[in-house]
Amino acid sequence: MVRSAATEDLANEAGSSRLALLLAAGAGAAAATPLFRRLLRIGDAAAASKAQDARILQLVLQLEYTQVAFYEQALHQASLEGELRDFAQTALGHERQHLAAIKRALGAKAGKRPRFEFGQATKNSEAFRATAIKLEDIAVSGYNGQATNLTAGTLAAAAEIVSVEARHAAWVRAIAGEVAAPDPVDKPLTATQVAAGLRAIGLRT
Amino acid sequence: MSGHDSFDEFLAAADRDGAIVETSAQLEAALSRRRLLVAAAAGASAVLLTQAGPGRAAGGLSRSDTSILNYALVLEYLQASFYTEAERSGALSGKTARAVRVVGAVERAHVEAFLKLLGPDAVKRPLFDFQGTTEQQQPFLKTAVALEDLAVAAYKGQAPKLRSRAVLAAAVGIHSVEARHAAWMRELFGIKPAVHAFDQPASRASINQVVASTHFIARQPRTKARSKPKYTG
Repeated sequence: MVRSAATEDLANEAGSSRLALLLAAGAGAAAATPLFRRLLRIGDAAAASKAQDARILQLVLQLEYTQVAFYEQALHQASLEGELRDFAQTALGHERQHLAAIKRALGAKAGKRPRFEFGQATKNSEAFRATAIKLEDIAVSGYNGQATNLTAGTLAAAAEIVSVEARHAAWVRAIAGEVAAPDPVDKPLTATQVAAGLRAIGLRT
Repeated sequence: MSGHDSFDEFLAAADRDGAIVETSAQLEAALSRRRLLVAAAAGASAVLLTQAGPGRAAGGLSRSDTSILNYALVLEYLQASFYTEAERSGALSGKTARAVRVVGAVERAHVEAFLKLLGPDAVKRPLFDFQGTTEQQQPFLKTAVALEDLAVAAYKGQAPKLRSRAVLAAAVGIHSVEARHAAWMRELFGIKPAVHAFDQPASRASINQVVASTHFIARQPRTKARSKPKYTG
């Protein structure tokens, strides 16, 4: 029989501290320009670099800020019940750890928590469910979209996060009775598309 | 001005007759609708080949990328055969049966895509013996969870080692799909779909060890091992 425990035992390192270590060196390179102008420069460099890693981290920082705020508000306001509540609580716990790891990696250069206006999405459970699917799918495609722009070390750290976002996406889709994995290959999104997707959900900078 | 400038340029350069753009458009239309199951096999191949472009001829891939892709191919063979056999066994019902139709089609599509990408360098499909796990729903789900979690860890371990950016782009897109499958199978099995905040990678040696421990890869056809063969992948 397959021993699923065996796979979990294969590696028990603390992923968050690894992310911080890997990226601490590159964090200082992010220029103090307005967030989205910085994001739009991602990919300009011909090859991956620590400086570009830091710019990409500012992008995924916005993703994680949005997820944390979204789940926090929904858990307070949307009267979530049953498995949907379990999902929201679990996802919030994970997103908080992702956020903390990325903030540690960026250090003093980490962007401040933005404002959010989620509207109905954090106020009733059906709207929450639909938006959670969108947000998690954006997270998966956002991380995937940057894979080829990252240095190998940072890619390894980001890969530990993206599959967790994919698990969240599939989980909330399954709860909604939707196909949990709709594509044979998840489509990547560009930084610009991620920024637009987050704004549509409620990110206000 | 985006993270995919170079990739888009690459696509444009590779897409001289517009065939790829056309395929992608058809693909998006097909995959986002009800025709998912029919389109999945053709779809993943198209996406992978599109993204992997120049690597299509196996000669265009580095030796280490070829080795990694063959390793991934074996895992995809394993999964595709497992789901196909479970579907054919008739043991699955309800939500599980519906999910497996989707997941099985996608895993078969991954196999087809890797076969096309590797060309003559592709390893052959091994013989499988799933030790009865495809013949009852609960053992099936338990095994599906284990295989999917294993695939996620395997892709995660190899992705940073890929040299071709185009192959990497495709591999990360498959990696997250395997994670979706893992979560889906976990949900169906009734266990938490996402346990840890950080999923850990696994080395090839560890993955090989786990796969070997299952005895799913048979030394000889099951027809010789048992008097009454049922399903042999």
